[in-house]
Amino acid sequence: MFASISSAVLIGAQGYPVRVEAHVGKGLPGFSIGGLPDESVREARDRTRAAILSTGLNFPSIKVTLNLAPSDQPKSGSAMDLAIAIGILAASGAVPPESVATLAFIGELGLDGSLRPVPGVAPMVGALGASDVVVPVGSAIEARVAALGTVRLVDSLGELVAVLNGHMPWPDHDAPEPPCEVVFIPDLADVQGQPHARTALEIAAAGGHHLLMVGPPGSGKTMLASRLAGLLPLLDRERALEATMVNSAAGVQLPAGGLITRPPFRAPHHTTSGVALVGGGSTTVRPGEVSMAHCGVLFMDEIAEFAPKVLDNMRQPLEDRYITVSRARVHVQLPADFLLVAAMNPCPCGGGAPGACQCNDAHLQRYVRRLSGPLLDRFDLRVNVHRPGVEELLSYAPGESSAVVALRVAAARRLAEERQGCLNSRLSGSRLDEFAPIDDAGRAVLRYELEHDRLSARGYHRIRRVARSIVDLRDAGQLQIDEEAIQVALGLRASLNSTMRIGRVA
Amino acid sequence: MSADDGHLAALAGLQLMNPNRLRHVLHGRSAAEAFDMATGASAPSPVLSTIFHKNEGLATRWRQQRSEQPPESWAASCAAANIQVVSESDPRYPAQLRHDPGAPAVLFVRGDLSVLDARRVGIIGTRNATQQGRATAARFGAELADANVVVVSGLARGIDAAAHRGALHAPSGRPVGIVGNGLDIPYPKQNTDIWNAVAERGVLISEWPPGTRPDAFRFPLRNRILAALCEVLVVVESRETGGSLITVHEAINRSVVLMAVPGAVNNRASAGTNSLISDGVQSALETADILMALGLDGRRAGRQRFDARPRPRGPQADIVAACRNEPRTLDGLLLATGLAIGEVALALARLERDGWLIENGGWFEVVDEWVDLT
Repeated sequence: MFASISSAVLIGAQGYPVRVEAHVGKGLPGFSIGGLPDESVREARDRTRAAILSTGLNFPSIKVTLNLAPSDQPKSGSAMDLAIAIGILAASGAVPPESVATLAFIGELGLDGSLRPVPGVAPMVGALGASDVVVPVGSAIEARVAALGTVRLVDSLGELVAVLNGHMPWPDHDAPEPPCEVVFIPDLADVQGQPHARTALEIAAAGGHHLLMVGPPGSGKTMLASRLAGLLPLLDRERALEATMVNSAAGVQLPAGGLITRPPFRAPHHTTSGVALVGGGSTTVRPGEVSMAHCGVLFMDEIAEFAPKVLDNMRQPLEDRYITVSRARVHVQLPADFLLVAAMNPCPCGGGAPGACQCNDAHLQRYVRRLSGPLLDRFDLRVNVHRPGVEELLSYAPGESSAVVALRVAAARRLAEERQGCLNSRLSGSRLDEFAPIDDAGRAVLRYELEHDRLSARGYHRIRRVARSIVDLRDAGQLQIDEEAIQVALGLRASLNSTMRIGRVA
Repeated sequence: MSADDGHLAALAGLQLMNPNRLRHVLHGRSAAEAFDMATGASAPSPVLSTIFHKNEGLATRWRQQRSEQPPESWAASCAAANIQVVSESDPRYPAQLRHDPGAPAVLFVRGDLSVLDARRVGIIGTRNATQQGRATAARFGAELADANVVVVSGLARGIDAAAHRGALHAPSGRPVGIVGNGLDIPYPKQNTDIWNAVAERGVLISEWPPGTRPDAFRFPLRNRILAALCEVLVVVESRETGGSLITVHEAINRSVVLMAVPGAVNNRASAGTNSLISDGVQSALETADILMALGLDGRRAGRQRFDARPRPRGPQADIVAACRNEPRTLDGLLLATGLAIGEVALALARLERDGWLIENGGWFEVVDEWVDLT
């Protein structure tokens, strides 16, 4: 009359184990669910009932009570459908209780008794630990990424009941082929000219520095940004799992091997809402774009067109590399460690060579003010990108390919990791003194810039961090930062707007 | 401060007032009479009744304003901002404007109108000027002021401001600023320092009473006053359809001598001046050319300021040469010089520090020794 079935629920990007307790006993016929189910869980009553009847089994016509333990935690989603159905069947004797004791069940039921995949199978299976888990055939890849025990694939409720009753062995379903995907990684060799911006990309990739590209329309900002992910090294097992978990929770199609090993590249449109960007929702907290870009690149094209409020949401993830989403009933911490690349025009009209801008002061100020100072401060690199002239387009030989640059990037990252245990962009003031000492000539340059109010205290650290990456890329053995590296770093902080004169004080 | 000031300012400050209406209202009447008539205290003249007839509600609005903003409050705000009110019948009214077809009926003035008795050259140009354009304007301004010529300009961003800064740089400079809004609101804000310096050392003129906002339509109107007040008008940089060309048009109507500074053919900021020159306008290459047009001896003018900047050598000289004709980007310089990015960055930084180059939105321009005034 009672059965307890193991299942899991997804909250944010994290899976939590849940016991589905089913009781079938005397009382007026009815079906109730306790344990803070939301509407999507309550709907499981109708789905499981229909699925059980469609499978040709008997749905108990007496009182059916379900409890989802721990019962003080709000639960959402259809992933517990299968566990609920099995619980009812076990409690009513249609399935021997001992056959389900060591199994966990995840999956959504169709009214015909078929099983459907749900988002977030990877983190849910991960939360279940070593127990064997039954999942829909469509979730095979995600489940296997995270499973410690055996993954059983099942096509329908009828099939599962037959197996549990010993009428047939576990079926041997082939994991579905993911939709034929041609992995297209844009190559840096396609970019004609733009030596300055290329350098900036390489430095951003090597040191993990956030990059802002400022340039008129048609100067290739988007093209350059989309090539950054290809310069980053492949993710190690641990980072790949983190990225896979959060992307699985967000319902993103995973690649063929299941694990996301290539750094993800996310490019949200500028109409994206604050919740879609950082994650949220009232009962179901879903990861936002910043979490989907975890371990990869977040590209914000036309960043000045994003609503200022939406942009300010980005501050915490940029600072802490995770985002805490708090709602009345749920508090969720989502990973958000990404490399931010943003692009914007120098002014509303697009700008161009000196004397070409048509904007009036008020428009300019309004445009530039949309990026708040604190956000602007997060960009270690701010580079002007220009439309290449005819001469430049014709005379440049094809540039280096991503593969060549990626080798240098990987070497520089390894160097930083061995020296200080983190990327150069994470170096704080005191650690900079230790790991990025500056020679006398370089120090003189910085003193001049500081004395002439062209460099702020924050900008000073930023320049040192970037210079560290420049030296790492150029000369592996050199600990001291020289004047040339400082000057290149100074050249990589574009003035945002010449008339406002805010840019020079970086 | 005469009793008329308040009435004149109140008249000019009526809603939807324009230079023509003001002229008709004031025609041969004292300020108080004209104000009474315009605000319905006495019977309107035939011309005014036609205006009222054609513009429904105008008479009511003006009547309302009589009580809302009485002449006394206008007089007080003029006095507070140290603004003189000069009507056409006033002996202080500039002689150059007296016979002008578009002469404003009332002028609001900060500073000394007798500055206009000297020789006067207008220097105008685009607000979106290049660094070189601004430096040229500053040099002309300073050297003309040195030759005791008064520089007339519009106090706008870009060329206008540079010309005024140049004129103020010369110890004897007494610049004239013609503006399109109330004299109590410096516009644009970043030029507040020049605005006040011009009022202090030269004269600041507007046809609008204090409190008038800088609406777009007022600037073409002020251009006619600017054109009427100069003997020679120099256009330093202008787009093919720039506001400067309105001033040029007004200058041509008044037979003012026109000069233009040529620029590179692919420079958008010089498109207007280059086409003026191809239409036969005289070119102004140095200050002596302008003094010559005034009939003055320009041989001593235009002596360069002492150039204390260290001469660029090696790669620095290559970079200055590459930027000499047109602004260049870092990418363009890498291509032109064939140097590595580190070397170019190093050279650019030193050139910028020494004052040879200036960076503007990622473009590097060669500047001359006058750049500190732009």
